[in-house]
Amino acid sequence: MVAETTSLNALEIKSATVPGRIEDVSLRLSRGVVVGLIGSNGSGKSTLLHVAAGLVPATGAVRWGNRPVTAIPAIERGRCAAWVPQEARFEFGFSVRSVAAQGRYAHGDDDRGVDAALAALDLTSLAARPVNQISGGERHRVLLARALATAAPLQLWDEPLAALDARHALDVLRLAHCLAQTGSTVLLSLHDLRVAHCLDAVAVMQAGRLCAFGPPLEVLTPELLHEVFGVRVRTGPGLILELP
Amino acid sequence: MTLPVRWTRFALPGAMLLLVVFAMISLGAGDVRLGPARIWAGLLHRDALAATVLWEIRLPRVILAMLVGAALATAGLVMQAYFRNSLASPDLLGVSSGGAAGAVVAIACGWTAVSLWCLPVAALAGAFAATGAVLVLARRGASTERLLLAGVALNALLAAVTGYVLSRYTDLYERNAQILFWLMGGLEDRMWMHVMIALPIPLAAMALWPLGRQMDLLSLGESEAQSLGIDVRRLRRRMLAFATVLTATATAVAGTVGFVGLVVPHILRLLVGPEHRRLVPLALVGGAVFVLACDLACRAAGGLRLGIVTALVGGPFFLWLLKRHH
Repeated sequence: MVAETTSLNALEIKSATVPGRIEDVSLRLSRGVVVGLIGSNGSGKSTLLHVAAGLVPATGAVRWGNRPVTAIPAIERGRCAAWVPQEARFEFGFSVRSVAAQGRYAHGDDDRGVDAALAALDLTSLAARPVNQISGGERHRVLLARALATAAPLQLWDEPLAALDARHALDVLRLAHCLAQTGSTVLLSLHDLRVAHCLDAVAVMQAGRLCAFGPPLEVLTPELLHEVFGVRVRTGPGLILELP
Repeated sequence: MTLPVRWTRFALPGAMLLLVVFAMISLGAGDVRLGPARIWAGLLHRDALAATVLWEIRLPRVILAMLVGAALATAGLVMQAYFRNSLASPDLLGVSSGGAAGAVVAIACGWTAVSLWCLPVAALAGAFAATGAVLVLARRGASTERLLLAGVALNALLAAVTGYVLSRYTDLYERNAQILFWLMGGLEDRMWMHVMIALPIPLAAMALWPLGRQMDLLSLGESEAQSLGIDVRRLRRRMLAFATVLTATATAVAGTVGFVGLVVPHILRLLVGPEHRRLVPLALVGGAVFVLACDLACRAAGGLRLGIVTALVGGPFFLWLLKRHH
């Protein structure tokens, strides 16, 4: 199936197949949206994000803003799209700030917006600390700050919220929405279906295939959630977290 | 533990000063003691005895010690960035042994008697073969355990090759003694010919300098580096080729000298941090200082082998690192 949102394309994936991982996935994202990628463990979310970022070769086609990724030179790719991995493991003790500044590599290391990116992820006070001596959640925020520093219009984040505390998770979501308002596109994988509910669109992966795409209210029906995740949905009073 | 930022810019001049000091001590020490004034006179051929001692014996040895140290330290630095593991180094991964095995075969077959240039060529062939094997056994970003086990396996295999060559020619005592001595690493009786072989070392090491920034990004993740705008495949090829050439050349002129590629980059990283644009020139000079100092210790101890001294220093250091690692 072809899933699409209207207006100018930021990302277009056409029948992408990575043998054994994802099969015949087509997806078209317009500019200025925050899209959640959900699905059970091993359903192919990470692989799809790798394919979208041009990091894993796949049959089919991947386009960023109507240009085939394979036709974009390596250095320019660093300005077009930012990818945040699921795992944040650093062997060497670079400072938090210098890792965030790596996001400017493709811009000739001009250092623009690095401090703003650190501030946006509440890392200013950690700027001088070595990245191999901070906590897991803090390391994930460093990776997000680096992605933000690239100023790339396409942001691909692999489970950015999984390691974060409640407050920082809300900060990151707000950041994603701010980016979308300025015309960027954010595709992020996540497990929290309640969070997925407040995004512009959701894409649902099941066993390597894209089985649904669209606004959360239309897609996340009790039937689909039961089929994909094997859970029963009930609306009721619960804990709601918001930014103050 | 890192030096305060205002001190780090003195690291390179400091290392160079240390190099000059050790070079002077090394040139002056020995049966014929020479002070700085006589060294100067000897280098300018104004003192016949000093000139003979320096130009015929000590100068080639000192220059080779520096070149070998520079090569091994830089190769270690590059391999650590490549494998994203600070415990990777040419000798632990078996690349040095590959070079050694190649060279041993060349010595045993008598090729080196025909031309000394056979030595570096055979060492290069062996080192590249070993590098290829490491790549198959331990993929990039492999765990420390996997990387070290691949090294253990490869080192054992190559030791068997060397052992076979030795046992095959038991009747040639002299040649076998030569091979055994060579395997223990050392810089005795080196000539200008050996210096010629090792001359590309500083060039290859300096060619790595412009790649420093890219190595920074690669050392924190391969896919990450690619997504940030680096042509990772090209970078990796160049890094590995340089590291292998550096290791093979050093092995060809000095035999097996272990742990330099592990110890030196580690100490430098502790001092000035992990940025490669700063580390590459420092490894060049720091490696030279380290091997020069070790060679001086060999001479002071009366004919101790260089490879044994570096192992005596590096072995405990490595075990300490392994205990501390994660």
